[in-house]
Parts: sequence; structure tokens; C-alpha cells
Amino acid sequence: MYNEPPYRVFEPSEETNQNEQEVTCVIEFKNLSLTYPGGVEALKNINLKIEQGEFVVIVGLSGAGKSTLIRCINRMTDPTSGKILVDEEDVTYLKDRRLRKLRTKVGMIFQDYNLVKRLSVLRNVMAGRLGHTGTVKSLLGIFPQEDLKLAMDNLERVGIKDKAYVRADQLSGGQQQRVSIARVITQQPKVILADEPVASLDPPTSHTVMKDLRRISKEDDLTTIVNLHFIDMAMEYADRIIGMRDGEIVFDGPVTDVTEETFEQIYDRPIRVDDKRGDESDGQ
Amino acid sequence: MSEQKEISLKKAKTASTKRLIAVIIGLLAFFYISAFWSQEWTVPGSRVSPLTILYRMFVVPFTSLEYLQKFPERILEMLETIAIAYAGGIAASIIAMPIAFLASRNIGGPLSYIGKAILNAIRSIPSIIFAILFVAALGVGPYPGVLAISINSIGMLGKLYAEVIESIDMNMVDAIRASGGNRVQAVWYGVFPQVLPDFASFSIYRFEIDVRASTVLGLVGAGGIGVPLMIAQQQRNWEDVGIILIIVIVFVTLIDKISGEIREKLV
Ligand SMILES: Nc1ncnc2c1ncn2[C@@H]1O[C@H](COP(=O)(O)OP(=O)(O)OP(=O)(O)O)[C@@H](O)[C@H]1O
Ligand SMILES: [Mg+2]
Repeated sequence: MYNEPPYRVFEPSEETNQNEQEVTCVIEFKNLSLTYPGGVEALKNINLKIEQGEFVVIVGLSGAGKSTLIRCINRMTDPTSGKILVDEEDVTYLKDRRLRKLRTKVGMIFQDYNLVKRLSVLRNVMAGRLGHTGTVKSLLGIFPQEDLKLAMDNLERVGIKDKAYVRADQLSGGQQQRVSIARVITQQPKVILADEPVASLDPPTSHTVMKDLRRISKEDDLTTIVNLHFIDMAMEYADRIIGMRDGEIVFDGPVTDVTEETFEQIYDRPIRVDDKRGDESDGQ
Repeated sequence: MSEQKEISLKKAKTASTKRLIAVIIGLLAFFYISAFWSQEWTVPGSRVSPLTILYRMFVVPFTSLEYLQKFPERILEMLETIAIAYAGGIAASIIAMPIAFLASRNIGGPLSYIGKAILNAIRSIPSIIFAILFVAALGVGPYPGVLAISINSIGMLGKLYAEVIESIDMNMVDAIRASGGNRVQAVWYGVFPQVLPDFASFSIYRFEIDVRASTVLGLVGAGGIGVPLMIAQQQRNWEDVGIILIIVIVFVTLIDKISGEIREKLV
């Protein structure tokens, strides 16, 4: 479709001898496609490798398939064909216990925080431990002391330890999203998926939340994949940017290769003001 | 109709629905008035005027110590009635939960039809019928009353609970599933905290209904204040009937008031 792409289109590498690779590949998509029951082809033959410790931002217009792509990784959505490997294990058809095990390894952050509003912050954070806790113990609310300590430490890392016993709905949006970051790292995952984590926040708060997320992901050497649709935020926080359009990857490269034109190509239209989130000081 | 009309929240009624409503009201009025005229205002077989009965029911009990002394005993019987409602209500509140989860579309999934069918079947039978059945099977006493109350309450509470469950925010359930929690954990941490206040509120509301229902159960021998009520009525002992009715009215009003206040605080 593009005569002279100034960006590189991802080619599936055929030299698949994984043992010889230097950096371990944490997530790999092989010819992954997904067609929704209504007939929408949300993902079209995706081939992608994501390496340990990368902070990847996926950009693309609404409906490009960003959410679908990341929800395939923890199998919240099931692909129609192709394969997904996480830690070199084929997870495409996992079920029940083994699927839950995968999900303890791949944490997720949501746009609307998805906290239980009536429960305390600490209980919400402890919900991240459920995958590691036996059913009966979790129903009785018996968690090991070290898990509780981990939860408290993580609340401290996102700067809201003093809110541990406050009900979640008493917190501001930014604080709630930080609770959900604390929850996801309390899960001790290897990978964090974040679907539009700052879309419901104002610009300054968006930046503090993204900074927290990036700092923690680097400190813990986590692989992080974030869907964003603000190009300035993508440029500021990503190591690597993946551009999607109509279920296809149309750009994939380090953030240093990315300019505004790259985005115009991904979006297939000129950049507009509302494609940018604005600065931290920009109170709107 | 191009002129600007005042906007109403309700859809405007058409002429034909207005006519239908008028017909219905007319028919109802006719039935009530004709029933009123044809009613003979005496109690059959006793030939005592209703005014005398009312006087004996609600005035005489307060005029003599002999009757006033009967109040404590009757209050105890009312407490038994409340205990029947309470025991039946608690049991129903708990048993209705699993059935409600089964019956809710978002949690029960394809099994929801089975749950709904069970609840509808239960709800279509009045508690007095259950009481008759249980008295026949278990003998006279409060125990069949408790069973009858609880079964009937399960039907209504299960349906109300299921509606609450269907209206919750499934986000938290998603979050727990996405972090590797299983179904049970997702329900416990994601659903229960959201539905519990409403469940409690409906259970208390149902308790009000149960108290009223259990006053009647005694009529078929299922314990509580209905038993002496029936006996007094058969003996035309209107003073006793009056005492019992006064106690029932006072207690039911009190319970409605208290439970209404608790429910307001809950939600
Ligand atoms: N559950 C579903 N059933 C049917 N079609 C769906 C479903 N979810 C998404 N789609 C369709 O699949 C396509 C990709 O959706 P997806 O949510 O992945 O896009 P997105 O890039 O995340 O968009 P947004 O920025 O709006 O979140 C869209 O055309 C969408 O309408
Ligand atoms: Mg999306």
C-alpha cells in the first residue's frame, strides 16, 4: 500500500533457532489472526517478538486492534488462528489451572482501574495475590504475612501507603490507577499489559502515572506493553513503538526512529491537536 | 402538530388508551359499589352488629384489668411469630444466594435458565400452601411455619438477588480473572462486595413480609399468633381477637419502621 515506507514493516524472522538468541524473547506472536463473531477481522496475521525488559507502546487509531492484541497475550480473548508464545511456552490453547498460571505471570492494568470500590485499598492490592493463594484461604482472607508486606511495600512504591485502609472509592482517579499498579506488581508478574491506562486521567496525572509505571517496570525488569493513543506520551515513555492499523502492524521500531511523520503514516492522516496529551504542567 | 409542546418525561397517552383506562375505572367502580350495597353488614350466624364487634375488639380490652393481663401472653405469641419469620428469613437469605448466582445471566451463564426455573416454580406457590403441606407432614407447631416461610422467601429473594447480580460492574471480575484468580475467588472478591449491601437490604425487606405472612400461618396450625387468633375468632371472643390484632398491628408497624431505617443506611 505504501510505495516507499520510511519505516520498517515487521517481517516474521524465519531463523527461529531460539537457543542461539542473545536476549530472551518473552512474548512471540506467530501468524496470529483473530476474527470476532460479527466478522470483524481485528488481527490479521500478526508476527511479533517482544524481548525481556522492553517497554513497548502500541499506538493506533480507535478500532485498530490494540486491545485485542494485548488481550490475546493473557488470553482474555482467544485468537482464531496462529500461536502465542509466552516464555517460549505455547499458551494459545491453555485452559483452567494452566491458564490461570499464565495469568499470574502476565499482569494487566485497565483503563477504568477495575478496583472494587467498596473495599479498602489494601484488599484491592491483595486481590493481585489471589492467583497465588489457595481458594479456601483466600475466601477466609488468610494471606501470608509476607504477601501483606509485599502489598504494603508496593503501595509505598507508588506513593500511597498512607491510603492502605481507605476505601478505594475515596481516592482520586490517579490514586486509583496507582492502586491498580500496586495490585499488578503484587502479583509479581514477568509481563505487564496496560490497556489505555491513562485515558481517564487529566494530563498532569497521566504523566505521573506513566512515570510510576515506567520506573517500576525498569526497577523490576518487567516487560511492559502499553496501549496509548497520545503520540507525545508514546514518544516520552516508550523504548519501542508498534503502530497498528486495521488489525495489522504497520510500524515497529525503537522510539529513536519515530517522528511525527511516522505517526501520520500509522494513522494515515495528519496529526491533530487531540492526538497529544500535553505537558505535565498543562492543567487544562 | 408543528407547535411547540411541553415536553413530558412520560410518553403521551393516546385517545384509545385513555378510553381503556376510563372503562377499567368504570367497571371497578361498578363492582365496588354493587358489592357494597349487597353486603349484609352483620356477621352471619351471630346477628351482632359490626359496631358492637368493633367496640368489643378495640375498646373493651382496655377497660378491664382482666383483658389487660392477657397482653403479655399474647406478646409472647407474637414474638414466636417473629421468631418464625426470622428463622425462615435467615435460612432463605443464605440459601437464595447460590441459587441467585446460578440464575444470573452474567455468572450462571447457560445454567441461568435452570436457576430461574427453580425460582419461578417456588414463587408461584403461596407460603400458606407450603404451610399446609408441612403441617400435614411434620405436625402442628412452629417448625413447619419456618420451613414454609423460608421456601417462599427463597423464591422472591433469589429473583431479587439475581437481578442485583446481573446489574453489577463486571470489571473487577475481569481484573481478578486476568490476575490468575479462579471463578470462586472472582465471585468472592469481585461480586460479593458489590452485591452484599443490596442483598442485606432485600433480606430485611423480605423479613417484613415474612412477619406478616407468619401471622397468618397459625391459621393452618403452623405456629405463632395465628393459632390463638383462629381459636378466638371461632369462639367469637372478640376481645381476644382485638388484643391479638392490636399487637400484630403495633409489632408489624414497628418492624417496618425499624427495618426501613436500617435499609436506608445500608444502600
Ligand atoms: N467483543 C467484540 N466483538 C466484536 N467485535 C469486536 C469486539 N471487540 C472489538 N471488536 C472490533 O474489533 C476491532 C478492534 O477492536 P479493539 O478494541 O482491539 O481496538 P482498539 O485499537 O483497542 O480500539 P480503541 O482505541 O477504541 O480501544 C474493532 O473494529 C472493534 O469494533
Ligand atoms: Mg482498546
